[in-house]
Amino acid sequence: MPTVRISPRDYWRLLAVYLKPQWKLVGLLTLLLLSTTGLQLVSPLILRQFIDRALDGTALNTLFFIASLYIGFAILIQVIKLFETWSAEYVGWTATNNLRADLALHVLGLDMSFHNAHTPGNLIERVDGDVFTLGNFFSRFIINVLGNLLLTIGVIVLLTRIDWRIGLTVGLFAAITITALMIFGRFTSRRFMAAREASAELMGFLEERIGGTEDIRSAGATAYVIRRNHEFAREYYRRHKSAMILGSASFSTSNLLTVIGMVVSLGVAATLYRDGAITIGTVFVVFQFTQLLIQPVEEISRQLRDFQQATASIGRIRELQAIQPTLADGPGAALPTGPLAVEFDNVTFSYGLDQPILRDVSFRIESRQVLGIVGRTGSGKSTITRLLFRLYDPDEGAVRLGDVDLREVKLADIQTRVALVTQEIQLFHATVRDNLTLFDRSIPDTRIEEALERLGLHEWRATLEDGLVTMLASGGGGVSAGEAQLLAFARVFLRDPDVVILDEASSRLDPSTEARLERAIDTLFAGRTAIVIAHRLATIERAHEVLVMADGQVVEHGDRETLAADPTSRFAEMLRAGHDLVTSTEARP
Amino acid sequence: MSPWKLITSLGTFHKWLFFLTGFSVMMSAYILPLVPGLIIQRFFNDLSDNTSAGANSWTFLGLIVAVGVARSITMVLGASEPIFHAVVGALLRKNIFERILTHPGARSVPVSSGEAVSRFRDDANAIGMFLSWTFDPIGQALMLVLSLVVLISIDPLLTIGVFLPLLAIVALVSQMGKRIERFRKANQEAIGNVTGLLGEMFGAVQAVKAAGAEGRVVGHFRTINDARRRATLNDKVFNEFLESVSTNLANIGTGLILLMAAGQIREGAFRVGDFALFVSYLGGLSVAAGFVGQYLTQWRQIGVSVNRLTALMQDVPVTDLTRHGPVYLHGPYPDLPPVTSIGVDALELLEVRGLTYRYPGTGRGIEDIAFTLPRGTMTVVTGRIGSGKTTLVRTLQGLLLSDSGEISWNGRTIDAPDTFFVPPRSAYTPQSPRLFSESLRDNILLGLPEDQVDLPGALHAAVMERDIDTLEDGLETMIGVRGVKLSGGQVQRSATARMFVRPAELYIVDDLSSALDVDTERILWDRLFARSGITSLVVSHRRPALQRADRIIVMDGGRVVGQGTLTDLLRISPEMQRLWHGHYDDDEEGDDDA
Repeated sequence: MPTVRISPRDYWRLLAVYLKPQWKLVGLLTLLLLSTTGLQLVSPLILRQFIDRALDGTALNTLFFIASLYIGFAILIQVIKLFETWSAEYVGWTATNNLRADLALHVLGLDMSFHNAHTPGNLIERVDGDVFTLGNFFSRFIINVLGNLLLTIGVIVLLTRIDWRIGLTVGLFAAITITALMIFGRFTSRRFMAAREASAELMGFLEERIGGTEDIRSAGATAYVIRRNHEFAREYYRRHKSAMILGSASFSTSNLLTVIGMVVSLGVAATLYRDGAITIGTVFVVFQFTQLLIQPVEEISRQLRDFQQATASIGRIRELQAIQPTLADGPGAALPTGPLAVEFDNVTFSYGLDQPILRDVSFRIESRQVLGIVGRTGSGKSTITRLLFRLYDPDEGAVRLGDVDLREVKLADIQTRVALVTQEIQLFHATVRDNLTLFDRSIPDTRIEEALERLGLHEWRATLEDGLVTMLASGGGGVSAGEAQLLAFARVFLRDPDVVILDEASSRLDPSTEARLERAIDTLFAGRTAIVIAHRLATIERAHEVLVMADGQVVEHGDRETLAADPTSRFAEMLRAGHDLVTSTEARP
Repeated sequence: MSPWKLITSLGTFHKWLFFLTGFSVMMSAYILPLVPGLIIQRFFNDLSDNTSAGANSWTFLGLIVAVGVARSITMVLGASEPIFHAVVGALLRKNIFERILTHPGARSVPVSSGEAVSRFRDDANAIGMFLSWTFDPIGQALMLVLSLVVLISIDPLLTIGVFLPLLAIVALVSQMGKRIERFRKANQEAIGNVTGLLGEMFGAVQAVKAAGAEGRVVGHFRTINDARRRATLNDKVFNEFLESVSTNLANIGTGLILLMAAGQIREGAFRVGDFALFVSYLGGLSVAAGFVGQYLTQWRQIGVSVNRLTALMQDVPVTDLTRHGPVYLHGPYPDLPPVTSIGVDALELLEVRGLTYRYPGTGRGIEDIAFTLPRGTMTVVTGRIGSGKTTLVRTLQGLLLSDSGEISWNGRTIDAPDTFFVPPRSAYTPQSPRLFSESLRDNILLGLPEDQVDLPGALHAAVMERDIDTLEDGLETMIGVRGVKLSGGQVQRSATARMFVRPAELYIVDDLSSALDVDTERILWDRLFARSGITSLVVSHRRPALQRADRIIVMDGGRVVGQGTLTDLLRISPEMQRLWHGHYDDDEEGDDDA
């Protein structure tokens, strides 16, 4: 279990950041709250007037007036409460939505190693689920607890004015009750945190498996996966149960304490009445006030219960925020304009504790050149592209773009200057337009149409019901794997990068479709530096140079035509072995 | 499903816990709170009469404490409520999840998996909550009857005078609740959009990062969040309005008593104790009335959650949602089925006739497919993108539900291909295999007992044996979300090993080549052929596969446009010629351009 300690400063910081922009509304909310508190305190005093005057035999008209006043106040409270709810919810949702967006941005900014270790389902729970719990904290906690504390203090002050002993009794019990709740709170908070974590794990499990039903079904592994579900469900149930039992115990303790507080103060009031010190109307007011106090104390206790959950959530949010990308953004060295040379200088790299996936890799491509990388799967080809994007930093050596070390450059600059087409493309449940531009609204429709046309996707485009604003089904339903790959090309066409990387980008295409793509690729490569990782001769054919990778090392590098012509080169051997297709690095019989 | 049905079918799932919930809630919230009011009445009346000794007051007060203790105990028992609620949630999730896993695998849920997860969480919780509130209306009715009896015995006219308008208002307010359903639905949809986008965003993180689109994606996320805030605000404020009306009615009711009873109080006919009793019951009753409103709202809203959950299960009777079955929250887990062998039904001939599947909406798909797979042969399905190759192998296996057509195994018609085409009859490697965040070993075995299968053999067949050595912890390596710690080819070959470790008559492989180099692919085919009696159906457009094939099926526009050996097809099928020569032609063009 994580052990992030939550200090009051954490709450304060969250509040300050997310409530400050809404200070006007927060002010209004506070005002509304103070008014309802005041009105609630006045109401019992009206009752006392009524009872004492009625027993004194005051005129009926006066009594009717007092009664009407009481009703008027009740209606007023009602109306103010409604406004209060609206503004509290508005403030809460605005604050939490901002927090959600900030967290999402933070998480997207974290390293791939973080994402490799966390399922999307788990992250949904942390960015949405935890923040949801916090919504109450933002909108109501501070304001409600503050309001209720005010009400409590108000009641105690008024009771003390009646008789200090009653005030003291009630104050004492209120203090004891709230303290008891705080102590309970500390324990329950930890259990709630554990329960929420188990919930996140269960949801992560479900999300991943629901995405893989085709595999599970066809492997006949249904029973096994269902059993795993039972294991996750049991863990969640156990932790949830333990949190809930403690929560109930704390709730019931507070109830008992308030009852005792009421009883003792009523006893004192009764004695005072018998001594003739106070009227029966005053005894009734004491009863009313102690009744009035049950609600805020229970409310405070309920809020504390939510608060426990909120504390658990804040803990997890802080934990998430505390994770920093290990790749610090560069200081912002400028990249030269125009096409860029790419250089790997003695690069060694491993994912975590694995054996190095790249060992001492060095090569350089001049600008406007096309480099083909070939090698067996797992030889480190894709890792090269990941390093070039600075999704990871090399353990040793340096990667340079236009002779500038990537670590010196702003990540945003790398992303604008380098474009990547991979084999896997993830489509969003969003419009075709947003899917192609990745939500960049500044790209005009004409450019998108042009890109689709160029890629031979105009037939597909014609089937779209609402044109570019057609919503794509989630998970890319209705788009074939090959079409999705062409869409990935379209994404790159819509940008104007200086370096283009194709990572096995056309592997899902049949030869005939690929042919259509070829001319488009020519346009794409014109005036740009390109790296092509591919299995097909057709794509490698455009390479000026070829790099042969094996087991994370460069085993051959040179001019393509020269290598192909040299019968002793590995590349030539691969050409012979693969007939029409390239890429083996090891000669096999 | 009606809320009644929901209660009877789910309430009986864990009877004693359900009734404990009922007992504790009725006692702590409705019955016991009535007692202190009666004691307070006596207390005030005694006090104003000034007849009894002071000690008597303390007796009354002692009684109140005793009731308080009893109430506290029932409140602790009230923990049964969230626990019951969790048990119900576990049952619902299990039923839906099981159902999703038995549904044609390629279209298992009609929504994104992120959205599905939000339903698993929120809607299952809403139903659990609804169930745990079942006894509240009973408690409220009891409370209403008991308190009315008491109050009428004191002053019938005042009772009716005060309560009738209150009841009228409560009824009116709950009538308005019909709107809530609409707000709720809009709200749930908005939540689904948010979680769906988050899932896609984090699933595509590498692409988002590479495109530098973090800010823009989050911008889109903000828009969707705003929509959700609007939906939630409507839903919540309306709900709160209904609730707070009922709660504040107590105060208005008290005011009404004052108005109506002013004369009687002045004359001493209606005493302070009676007033205290009225006020105290009024408070309790209006809170209860508020619950009635809330419960009625839940009663209407719960259908939305039920529908959203049943939609996940797709086309099954809604009773499947609430079907009882073990949830294994305690005790030993269920045994896994043993590894079965094919026995006497070994594949001799698989025949497919008229197989048709059209995607809902677009109408694209496959049309009238016919072919046969004799034992020991390799058949390759080829065709350009979008020609229906993947749809064909999915429909054959029941991963998509065919619209028409017949499949027969050794002459026997297969009625339910989805349950038939599993090991030990067939095993499959999908085009984009999914691996899960567990160890590589668990991903390959997926629950098979290691001592009963040939894991090293499967790794060898999948040309995976060398990769194992290079991984950090070998087979125990935790491969990360969807297997990201592996290369694309390793993911594909792990999935292939997952296929080979399952004894099967027919191996179906969808486009293995996309992440494999030719060399590896060739070794793979060699090793496949080394296994005797293997029948295989392979989607590929690669030459090594086409050259190996005993028979090739050429697809175009969802139809079979050619079938036969490579030599025959190259002679007679224009589409095959295009596919075979396609990139050669292009090479020349490319060279010309260069």
